[in-house]
Amino acid sequence: MPGKSPSLYDLKKTTVWFAISSLVLLISLVAMVLEDSTREWKHWQKEFVTYSREKAEGELQKARKAVDQKKLAALEAQLVEAHMSANEQKSKVRELEKETAALAIKITQTTMRYQNEKQFQDSDRYFLEEHRLHHEDEQAAEFAKRMEERAPVIDSLKRDLEGLQAEDDARKESINEITQKARELTRQIQQLTESITRLESTVKKLSPNVATAILNAPMLDFMKPTLQIQQIVLENLYDDYFFKKSNKVDRCTTCHLGIDQTGFEDAPKPFQTHPRLELFLSANSPHPAETFGCTTCHGGSGQSVSFTTAAHTPQSDEQAAEWKKDYGWREMTHAISKMLPLSYTEASCTKCHGGVVDVPQAPKLAEGRRLARTYGCAGCHKIEGFEKQWKVGPSLEHVQSKLEPDWIIRWLMNPKEFRASTKMPRIFHLENTSDVKSAEKSDASIAGIAAYLMKNSDPIALGSLPTKGNPEAGEALVKEVGCLGCHTAAGVDANNFGPELTGLGSKVTPEWLYAWLKDPKHYSSETRMPNMRLSNEEAAHITAYLLEDRNEKFESIRLPIVKSEVVDGLAMMFLKGRLRYDDAQAKLNAMSAQERLEFIGEKTIVHQGCFGCHTIHGFEDTKPIGTELTDEGSKDVHKLDFGLIHLDHTRQAWFYQKLKEPRIFDRGKEKVYHEKLRMPDFGFNDDQAERLTTFLLSLQKEDIPLEMSKQLDLREQEIERGRYLVAKFNCQGCHTLDGQEGKVRKVFDDAGNAPPLLTGEGKKVDGGWLYDFLEKPVTIRPWLSYRMPTFEFDEESLTHIVRYFENLSEVPISYKDDTPKPTAENIEAGKKLFKAFQCIKCHKSNPEPGLSASFLAPDLVMTKSRLRPDWVVEWLMDPQALQEGTMMPTFFYDGQSPMPEILGGDALRQSEAIRDYLWLFNAEEAHGAAQPQVPQAG
Amino acid sequence: MKKIAKVTLTTLFVLAVWSASSYAGMVSGTVKFDGAAPEAAVISMDADPTCAGAHSESVLSEEVVVGDAGALQNVFVYVKEGLEGQTFDTPSTPVTLDQKGCQYKPHVFGVQVGQPVDIINSDPTLHNVHGLPKNSKEFNLGMPIPGMRVKRKFDSAEVMVKFKCDVHPWMNAYVGVVSHPFFSTTGSDGSFEIKDLPAGSYVLEAWHEKYGTQTMNVTVDDAAPQSASFTFTG
Repeated sequence: MPGKSPSLYDLKKTTVWFAISSLVLLISLVAMVLEDSTREWKHWQKEFVTYSREKAEGELQKARKAVDQKKLAALEAQLVEAHMSANEQKSKVRELEKETAALAIKITQTTMRYQNEKQFQDSDRYFLEEHRLHHEDEQAAEFAKRMEERAPVIDSLKRDLEGLQAEDDARKESINEITQKARELTRQIQQLTESITRLESTVKKLSPNVATAILNAPMLDFMKPTLQIQQIVLENLYDDYFFKKSNKVDRCTTCHLGIDQTGFEDAPKPFQTHPRLELFLSANSPHPAETFGCTTCHGGSGQSVSFTTAAHTPQSDEQAAEWKKDYGWREMTHAISKMLPLSYTEASCTKCHGGVVDVPQAPKLAEGRRLARTYGCAGCHKIEGFEKQWKVGPSLEHVQSKLEPDWIIRWLMNPKEFRASTKMPRIFHLENTSDVKSAEKSDASIAGIAAYLMKNSDPIALGSLPTKGNPEAGEALVKEVGCLGCHTAAGVDANNFGPELTGLGSKVTPEWLYAWLKDPKHYSSETRMPNMRLSNEEAAHITAYLLEDRNEKFESIRLPIVKSEVVDGLAMMFLKGRLRYDDAQAKLNAMSAQERLEFIGEKTIVHQGCFGCHTIHGFEDTKPIGTELTDEGSKDVHKLDFGLIHLDHTRQAWFYQKLKEPRIFDRGKEKVYHEKLRMPDFGFNDDQAERLTTFLLSLQKEDIPLEMSKQLDLREQEIERGRYLVAKFNCQGCHTLDGQEGKVRKVFDDAGNAPPLLTGEGKKVDGGWLYDFLEKPVTIRPWLSYRMPTFEFDEESLTHIVRYFENLSEVPISYKDDTPKPTAENIEAGKKLFKAFQCIKCHKSNPEPGLSASFLAPDLVMTKSRLRPDWVVEWLMDPQALQEGTMMPTFFYDGQSPMPEILGGDALRQSEAIRDYLWLFNAEEAHGAAQPQVPQAG
Repeated sequence: MKKIAKVTLTTLFVLAVWSASSYAGMVSGTVKFDGAAPEAAVISMDADPTCAGAHSESVLSEEVVVGDAGALQNVFVYVKEGLEGQTFDTPSTPVTLDQKGCQYKPHVFGVQVGQPVDIINSDPTLHNVHGLPKNSKEFNLGMPIPGMRVKRKFDSAEVMVKFKCDVHPWMNAYVGVVSHPFFSTTGSDGSFEIKDLPAGSYVLEAWHEKYGTQTMNVTVDDAAPQSASFTFTG
């Protein structure tokens, strides 16, 4: 017997360890299964099933109530009756059915005979033709005879067949009649209860049952569970994991289950329907979920399926606290892409929508961009897409002819002291420069700037006023000629595009203001202020009115005392930057006190970047001073200096804070004067700061494939070029255009006196005429006191604006001569109609003065050069359809002409005739037409 | 005994229903102007000789017309609240608005929703009747031929809708468009009368072109006419 084999292990111990590890494995398996079956998303999917079922049940109840029970009961009773009566006639039905069965046999037999005979006939025809071809007349005659004999047989068979079929039809009809009523009633009942049946099946589908319980049971749910992760894989979009790019996968719909369905608008989160499905998510919207997913716009981690790891970002501290309590949310401090808070989602639009003035359907972003243009962010910060930005401040090339140095000093101390609504930011005396030493330096710098500007600007010739203006007349003119189309003035705030016209008596001289009003480009060739073509008297009146208003508080601001040692200190600081101490000192000593002041002025202008907004001699090519903002929206958060203040470490929090209190990040820091933060204080309110934050967040670059981003076609590009000019020159300050109401229109009680609506202008006026008009405006509506100003556009801008209007109206470029070629009949008819409709009553060529506005309409002599022929016809047919509220009446109501004897009373032909006549209408005709007519007796 | 009770009850019930539905009330009253009547402005029609020629005397504005003892004319009085949810037949007989002597006749009137307004031009000059409703579609119809007529309807209630003529800026008229037949316009004696109003509580409103609106609660419960009077002050 062999001895006990030597063993390398102890069996007993092994067994014990095996048992222990099995147990541990079992426990961990159970734990895993438990953990898996209680995952967050499964909870939400179960909740959604419950919610949907309850919703369907509610709808079911409503549907049941909505059904007309009386009608239903009546129908059901009728159905029972119908069934009963059908049953009574059962034997008759059976009899009929038997008969049809017998008939069917007969029909088949007869059909076969009929077809046989026809085949014989065809065969005989063949032989007949063959024999005839070979001139075998005898045989041919034989076949002809056979055919002749058979013909009546075929005819009679056909008649038999028809008779049989008629008998059959009659029987079937009788059966039908007996059963039809029941069928019709059943259909009606089904129709009445259709929605109930549908909802019942929905409720049944959503109710718990054994099958789904098994499919979703732990361990069994690998087969075909009804609860499962939903995902959208985006073929053309990628997530960047630094070294590897992978297709974007969004699993948001795992929990956001009702997001793309209508009917969940009032559902609790996360089941709520996405707003505006016609614009987002749905398959036929411009942004289908299958193509764009969710995180492309919202940000966040699309692959994650838990609330926290998806990197949801709360809107506010309150929401954060709520989320912590309700969902155990915590911030994903190290997540690469966190979700944008909902209030900033519009920032993502620019990923695909570039090259446009305003991103469509993104009002907050559009406002933000508008603010960025208005306040001239791109003056200091390079921003791609803002290269064409105009300088927002006035040119200072001739400032010595406009301002006194003391005014400049008071202004720079705090611009809002002079005018609260100014867009000029405060640069000096802010929180990081408020200590005594910094304040002294700021005062010296301000005096330096004033000294530099006085020295380095050229005077312009200013004439004297031809007459002393009348302020009252001036006030009326300010309200009447169009100043309010850009400026807040005379207590009317419709536009704050140009500076508010207050306190000018404390600012400029009458000579300067008069010269400016007469010709703004004389003072500044780059100004956007147009020429209002004011007469000498008008300009003098307005000057007198505007200068009446003084800002005495501002005038009494004490000018700071500038200490020479502070000036020297600043000058040395600037000099030492480039020179050795001794050289710097020598250079300083060589300068006079005034030169030192001018020197620190020049250096301060460089340091603060004043030339970003103002044209200043000596700084024509200086580079802007701010950080480039092209990618600011995707800048790493840790590259932003949060300083020593407590603030959420997010881009949006930093941008917002920076905009509200630009110098706050210096708080608690020890810095020398010229190293302190320089961003000036614009005095933005909360709304403005939020809109600008949206704009800043939108400045990001992401690799979006070309085919996925919005590509502007030629027409859209031309429209955008026009929109840029429309924004720059504030056309919508007066005119309703491109979907935006003219801002000044609200000032008018009578819309007939407001600047014209330009909706559809491209279709209305001739392109060449528009070009000339914009270049040199002429009076079209003599009753309007508002004047179309002369903007002195260059050729390129004029072309862009004309194309903009044409493109908005979808008018193609055409070289076809569209001048009407009228017939004599048309001209004659047109003339008659023109007289009958008394067109000249309002459309006078030389209206006598003193007529009220409504008596006046455009001079029709202008029509042929100004208007498009097709538009004139459309307008005559129904003016209200083209311009609601117009004073022009229609003469063809409901498409009928009141003059049935002309051109057959055809409204369209009559309109064309009037148009044709207008194309021949000249000053002479107008004069003739205007002669008083003897009124016809009514 | 039982039968008698039954008959009595039925009779009572029928009577009650009958009285509630067939005793229709009437509200009438006058509208007065308190204080010195403002002097009516003279309308200059010189701009159109046809208009000027139609009048031998100077034409006065109809904005405020005060008659004897302060009777205020051209006040539109109607039931503003209390008829909600009820529908009324739309009359097919049109209300006439005439343009005569370059003035609208009448200056203030009422019409039911859907009831035609027959607009006539009795002048040998061009008028355009420009209706400015906010709740219905705006229209602007040129009427160049003397004797021309056109019918227009309003789709929704609106108190008041203004008519104007853009050719003759002094011309305007106001129409109260209501969804029921219970309205009236004060005549030269300042009186108005609303008939056949079912029993119930109502809010009456009186509208005047210059002096705005006033409201009053009235309860109509039997055949005795209810009186309601309004007083406007300048």
